[in-house]
Amino acid sequence: MSIEMESRRDFLCRSGGGLGGIALASMLGENLRAEGILGEPHHRPKAKRVIQLFMGGAASHLDLFDFKPELVKRHGEKSDFGEHVEAFQNGLGPWKKPVWEFSRHGGCGKLLGETVAPLGEVVDEMAFVHNMVGTTGVHSQATYLQATGFDRPGFPGMGSWVSYGLGSMNENLPTFVVLPDRRGFASNGPKNWSSSFLPAVNQGTIIRPGTPEPVTHLFPPKSAKFLNSGTERDAVDLLTKLNGKYASQRGGDSRLEARIQSYELAARMQMAAPEALDLSKEPGYIREMYGLSPDGTSWPKEINWKEEADYFGRKCLSARRLLERGVKFVQIWSGNDNGFPRRNWDSHEDIEREHGPLSRGMAIGAAALIKDLKQRGMLEDTIILWTTEFGRMPSTQGTKGRDHNPFVFTNWLAGGGIKGGVTSGESDEFGYKPADRRNPTEVYDIHATILHLLGIDHKKLTFRKDSIDRRLTDVHGKVLANLIG
Amino acid sequence: MSVVKNAGFIWLLTWLWVGADEGVWWSMRDLKRPSLPAGTEENVIDRFVRAEQRELGLEPGKEADRRTLARRLAYNLWGMPLEQERVEVFVRDERPEAYRDLVDELLDSPRYGERWARHWMDVVHFGESHGYDKDKPRENAWPYRDYLIRSFNEDKPYARFVREQVAGDVLWPGSEDGMVAPGFLSSGPWDFIGHAEVPEEKIDGKVARHLDRDDMVTVTMNTFCSLTVQCAQCHDHKVDPVTMKDYYSLQAVFAALDRADREYDLDPKVAETRKSLKDERRELKGRIDEVSKAIEKAKTDEIRELENELADVVNGRSNRFGYHSEVAASQDVVKWVQVDLGESVLVDEVRLFGASEYGFEDFGFPHRFRVEVSDQGDFSAKVVIGDFTEADVKRPGAGAFVVKSEEAKGRYVRVVATKLWSRRHAGQPMSEDWIFALSEMEVISKGQKRAGMKVSSLDSIQAMPRWGRANLVDGVSGKGATKSAGDLELRLEKILGKVAGDSLVRRTALEEDLGKVDRLISELPRPRKSFAGTVHHGSGNFKGRGGVGGKPREIRVLDRGSVTQPGELVVPGTVPGIVPGTARFELDEDHSEGDRRVALAEWIVHPENKLTWRSIVNRVWQTHFGQGLVATPSDFGRIGEKPSHPDLLDWLAVEFRDGGGSMKGLHRLILTSETYRQSSVGDEKNEQTDAFNRFFWRQNRRRLEAEAVRDTVLLVSGMMNFKMGGPSFRDFVIERPEHSPHYQYHKADPDDVSTHRRSVYRFLVRSQPQPFMEALDCADPSLLVEKRGDTTTSLQALAMLNNAFMIRMAENFAKRVEGEEDVVGKVIALALGRAATDEEEKLLGKYLADHGIAAMCRVVFNLSEFSYVD
Repeated sequence: MSIEMESRRDFLCRSGGGLGGIALASMLGENLRAEGILGEPHHRPKAKRVIQLFMGGAASHLDLFDFKPELVKRHGEKSDFGEHVEAFQNGLGPWKKPVWEFSRHGGCGKLLGETVAPLGEVVDEMAFVHNMVGTTGVHSQATYLQATGFDRPGFPGMGSWVSYGLGSMNENLPTFVVLPDRRGFASNGPKNWSSSFLPAVNQGTIIRPGTPEPVTHLFPPKSAKFLNSGTERDAVDLLTKLNGKYASQRGGDSRLEARIQSYELAARMQMAAPEALDLSKEPGYIREMYGLSPDGTSWPKEINWKEEADYFGRKCLSARRLLERGVKFVQIWSGNDNGFPRRNWDSHEDIEREHGPLSRGMAIGAAALIKDLKQRGMLEDTIILWTTEFGRMPSTQGTKGRDHNPFVFTNWLAGGGIKGGVTSGESDEFGYKPADRRNPTEVYDIHATILHLLGIDHKKLTFRKDSIDRRLTDVHGKVLANLIG
Repeated sequence: MSVVKNAGFIWLLTWLWVGADEGVWWSMRDLKRPSLPAGTEENVIDRFVRAEQRELGLEPGKEADRRTLARRLAYNLWGMPLEQERVEVFVRDERPEAYRDLVDELLDSPRYGERWARHWMDVVHFGESHGYDKDKPRENAWPYRDYLIRSFNEDKPYARFVREQVAGDVLWPGSEDGMVAPGFLSSGPWDFIGHAEVPEEKIDGKVARHLDRDDMVTVTMNTFCSLTVQCAQCHDHKVDPVTMKDYYSLQAVFAALDRADREYDLDPKVAETRKSLKDERRELKGRIDEVSKAIEKAKTDEIRELENELADVVNGRSNRFGYHSEVAASQDVVKWVQVDLGESVLVDEVRLFGASEYGFEDFGFPHRFRVEVSDQGDFSAKVVIGDFTEADVKRPGAGAFVVKSEEAKGRYVRVVATKLWSRRHAGQPMSEDWIFALSEMEVISKGQKRAGMKVSSLDSIQAMPRWGRANLVDGVSGKGATKSAGDLELRLEKILGKVAGDSLVRRTALEEDLGKVDRLISELPRPRKSFAGTVHHGSGNFKGRGGVGGKPREIRVLDRGSVTQPGELVVPGTVPGIVPGTARFELDEDHSEGDRRVALAEWIVHPENKLTWRSIVNRVWQTHFGQGLVATPSDFGRIGEKPSHPDLLDWLAVEFRDGGGSMKGLHRLILTSETYRQSSVGDEKNEQTDAFNRFFWRQNRRRLEAEAVRDTVLLVSGMMNFKMGGPSFRDFVIERPEHSPHYQYHKADPDDVSTHRRSVYRFLVRSQPQPFMEALDCADPSLLVEKRGDTTTSLQALAMLNNAFMIRMAENFAKRVEGEEDVVGKVIALALGRAATDEEEKLLGKYLADHGIAAMCRVVFNLSEFSYVD
């Protein structure tokens, strides 16, 4: 999609000239690559693509992935952290055991909570990081931190950096795609995938699979009765001619050449995007694996796991189709903004009520995605990152909830050179802070590791803004060598 | 107070800006008017530019044709094209003054202020919602935008413009401009949760406030001085001599401020009256408190017993009757009850009373709820005036729970309970019977309690006489009144009179006086409001510094920028070495917070400030040429670029400073230069020497900004609504405003004429940018934008083709030209300000014949020429 490409004129000179606009465009289509700023990666990459699964509202590590027998033993006892704790809503009631039973899975014997047990089938592909720490228990800042590496607005999302560094693999689709929760955006909305100071082409493009306008502005509004396929085809031809003339009278201005290309690319995206998102092309067993219900199923008002599985699964399946077609970075969101009734992971009142359906739905889709990528040979060069804002406290809030825990939480990764079936970094016996408080894992380390797998030295992918050579990892970040296979 | 007075130290600091090989860094050299290079050019700019070109062997470009010049000038000064007829007059006008006259005409138009205010809004990251989570609209941010437009149109001297924005409320408290201009300090994002939901004492609260001050320091120093001091937040600046201490001294300047609506009176008489009335009120309250204490002290046991007895009776007769919902099986079932006021009125206040039952005075009062006002009985559109759904409310006991409203208007008021109540013991629920009950609901409008309200609700147990909808509005002391209460009151009065008669009389008199003062305050004209960097008088978590008389917060150097690692205490000040003399402000021990800001403002506009004057002339130059004399307009430090024409920059800076800081004067100087008037056509020979045109041997072709595209589309379609000023138009629908508002752009009506205003009046949401404007690289109000992006993407092409606004305007354009003899010619003339070529007549004519006028107009909107200026 980017337009930093050689000018049409230069190309014509080299190819002997004389090709007409449209014919040339289709000829260029397959071969033309929008270069990333790096040109060549810093080192040999293990991965080409990334899928980030982002749980908005802060998912509990304790009830899903990080089993703490001590909490089972002490359930209901007065909590004691051994130090003063500032909790967001002062939710420091008695110790609370995990809501669900845990059982062992896979060759590695990893303990998983009941609702995420569907991931058991692929757990040997997954690497867990249980000693993640954040800097804040405020949703907005924490979301920014995990999405952009900074706890405030004004910085590009990880997908934008990847797009900026490596460029596009398919000009007809955006490089960085975002699949938001159907109910609304998580904290900060589109600022989480903004290109910010990077060129706009690196911005995350929102795609809403299964809706009439999956990409904003992809087609004219239905109300525009004076437009039809004929007006559209002729318009692109006409613009190519007239804008070509304008550009040729102003030789050397590559922007004018790029502009002509952009209309041709737009026309191709109108074909490519609906095709990529057409899930009806998928066989029944695949749809079933991803937890999809028949199209048009109607759902009860109350939150329920089948509906969550359907929506999350559709996003996972769409993501796979987009990746197959050359999209480089897909970000999938689960959970919307903080409203009531809650439709995100911010379970202050009742872990079971929201975490139950959300996690079961997520686990079905994520497990299917890993299996499906593997059977297509794509898992080896596709990184999957599961992340959230922060964790939840081992103590009780109210009677059934948990407060924010920015002091420790869990991420997991799979594919793209990640070593499967391992755990890197443990939390302490209560899941309150890292076991080794001096050596926690931070988002910078996760980001550095992902860039490393993509062939990028995180210290060398920079952009100068307001006097600072900005990078995704700020002044931090170490590659987590023990996660790399 | 430590003050840097030592001349040796100043010398040392200047020395820090000295590089090993190049002497003093260019921006740190004293600002002096350089001598003019040799040459015959009349315009000084041309003299400097040509001299460089001669040295480099560059051939200056020819003057652009008059049509191109008219279009270029109009976009530079107005951001939209001239009327077709005016272009023709200019093209035919052969007088030598014709060009200068056109420049003057454009500068004299209010369209000029609208255009240049928008440039300023980029630099200062002006937005109208908070950003972060809970990105709520700022209803009163627009006065700052109007201030900018006014200031540019009035050609306000730059020094005054700076002083007003940093400290106008201190320096000119009686003027609209003075009071509104500090909207500059609050222009950036603000974390609602970190301020309003987390107390300042918590780490997260401290982080939020630290980030807030950082934003104020950054916007001030980058905008006015092109100095990136924010780099010294975690460590001393890596390359520029700005220490952490300097940076935190700047934070200390803003240490009393928050971002909030500030009320003010324009009429100095009213302002004075309000202030003296408020002082009087405070004093009366104090005296009443004193007398009450005395009365309390004088009470005997007998009196206290009587009081208790009376309270029992009063409670018994009032709040045992009320509204009671049906019982729900879980606590999170949502229930509501609402009143119909009979007509749409301004709601000042809603008071809710719990019911008396089982020994609870707030029986049934929900733990969480919100109060909404609407004109529709079904609340399909509404304003939330009180949102208590995030955390449990403090139990109100027998008292009223008061919800204040700001200008909410509606016919219906609804209470929506989101967390129901049940009987509890020791904080634990005793049953799973979840209910919602209230004894009374009062709505106050214009200071009066509304009577004759009708009640409806989701459900109700209707167990009269105790419980029924009608009981909700039967008056606090309505049903079941017993005579004994009156008797008790009389007895109490008598006994109390014996022990504290004088005090009672005095208190009654004082209360009467207080009533008078309150009435006088309510009779004053409503104060104006504007969102600004201000001392906030708040309550709850977001208290601000109003409660402590505006005393600034203590600022310490934070190790690695971490609020948990405070170090040395700092005093207000700024960066040394830029203005001769002090870097820490010399202020009296008892100085006010405003004194700090005045000191900083004076430092910025000091004639010897090495950065301020260079910074602003460079920004203006960049806007006229698409590239600055310094390519990094907000960074004149060592990481920034060096100027291409240092002497020209200094000459312009001195000329501007000494000429009274007139923007319009600076525009005239630049726009009448030959350098500006050159054609934008390339030249192969020149390109070999200077491919990027750093030496201005031609004008730069520029892509129109999102605003200019949208404004032009409106104008040529004949739909432009030139209403100036006032609240911004909203091209979105807000849904779910109570938490994180959803800004739904696709639900806006493209035919809504109130949105057909110039783009500078668009409501600027931070979290959810307007998709069309964003595709066209509009400024992100969370970033300081020193220069617009200039990207070309396929999503941009799709936006230009398919955005609903563009489609409707193509249809409007079609209507405008329908019936013209030469439709294609007319469309090209209106859209591009020139005659159609034969090829255009042919190709567009064919398209028109095949697909209609509207489709053809849409193609014209998508021509490159429509979006570019030569």
